[in-house]
Amino acid sequence: MNDTQFSIDDCLTQLDQGTLTRQHLQKTFDLVTGCERRQDLLYLQTCESSLHATLLGFRLLVDGTYVDEPDSDEKWPYDSVIDAIGDGWRVISFPNMALYLDENRTYGLGFEFILEKWR
Amino acid sequence: MKTFDCEPTLTDREVIRFCRDGYYELPEAVDKETCQHILDFLKDNPNDHNQPSALLSEKWFVERLLCNGPTAGAIRSLLGANFILPPVMANHPGPCPEPSPLGWHVDGANMHTFALNYLQVFCLPQETTLEMGPTELIPGSHFLLGQSALVGHYGVIRGAKKCVGPAGTVFITCYPIWHRRLKATSIGNIRHLLKYNYLRNTAPVRDWIIEDNFDPARQTSEFSHLNAGAPYMRRNILDCYDAARMYLWLCGLEEEYRYIGGHAWPMPLSEELQSNEDAYAAPPSLASTKAAFRPIAPLI
Repeated sequence: MNDTQFSIDDCLTQLDQGTLTRQHLQKTFDLVTGCERRQDLLYLQTCESSLHATLLGFRLLVDGTYVDEPDSDEKWPYDSVIDAIGDGWRVISFPNMALYLDENRTYGLGFEFILEKWR
Repeated sequence: MKTFDCEPTLTDREVIRFCRDGYYELPEAVDKETCQHILDFLKDNPNDHNQPSALLSEKWFVERLLCNGPTAGAIRSLLGANFILPPVMANHPGPCPEPSPLGWHVDGANMHTFALNYLQVFCLPQETTLEMGPTELIPGSHFLLGQSALVGHYGVIRGAKKCVGPAGTVFITCYPIWHRRLKATSIGNIRHLLKYNYLRNTAPVRDWIIEDNFDPARQTSEFSHLNAGAPYMRRNILDCYDAARMYLWLCGLEEEYRYIGGHAWPMPLSEELQSNEDAYAAPPSLASTKAAFRPIAPLI
């Protein structure tokens, strides 16, 4: 259960008990509408367009701050995009294949996926 | 402009390694006494921290840092005879600690090209450890098209090279290589990094050391980035083709470069598969059978 679901569940419990306040309802409303929610971002660069492809690089933004980078490859949080999806990340940007059609020129680092989580 | 000449010290394989990786490391190329002299200068001249070009008029600095044997020999191999010495000297004093790494970037006025008309050198005047926030670079990224404005959002990248080492270590780099400073966790010191450019003063020619036991027309796996243990980074083995094209440019043979594909030169074949014959369609000037048929590079 995430924060939003927990707050709604809490509202329902307080409603049943007759203790629900306007303030608590407003807080839950803000959570549902995104007023108090924060977006975390995960950039993943892969060697192929497949969700299973090996990661070439990553960067993680949590609560508005870049997370410290691990000092070795063994400490990377995920092995692939599909691995991150399995941990609750949602893909919000897929690599644009139209940018990869010239086989003799490569721009940037592999194929980039951008994923998000809301807290 | 001041020029310098000496004997080349790199071999065919080492020149190819530079073309492939975009950098060449020379551990302790500068002697410890010279390094200490540089650190003393920086300490005594805080206003020159970022641009200590006054050092360029010091004889000891020119002889022992710019023109020391290992460095000058490698520069001579890559830039040819009578290369031009750096006209400007920069220093990147990095405070310690520094909680975040700098963004990945490519230095200004970069040009992604197979031509090699200048070399950017990083010199560590002090022992530089991981805790001091060393420079990090991506092997092979000199061929990855990307300006600073497009690569700054990248974070940790597999296979990145951390430029750590004892005082006097020199990294000769291809100018458009991607690099950044790592975060620093040590406390109370400053990490210095001298940065300067040598310039070509003559047309490219294959006049470095030619090894008896290496034949670039046959041993094509040397061009492959994967052969050096790097993770897969570029599709369609473009790392190999680009390194081979830069190598031919350095040989003064770029007009012989043909992108034919398949198993044609410089397709990297494993040591076991490499035969005693030239690779198919090897450049004539490198091949033992110079009149062998070579298809025209197909148009796409």
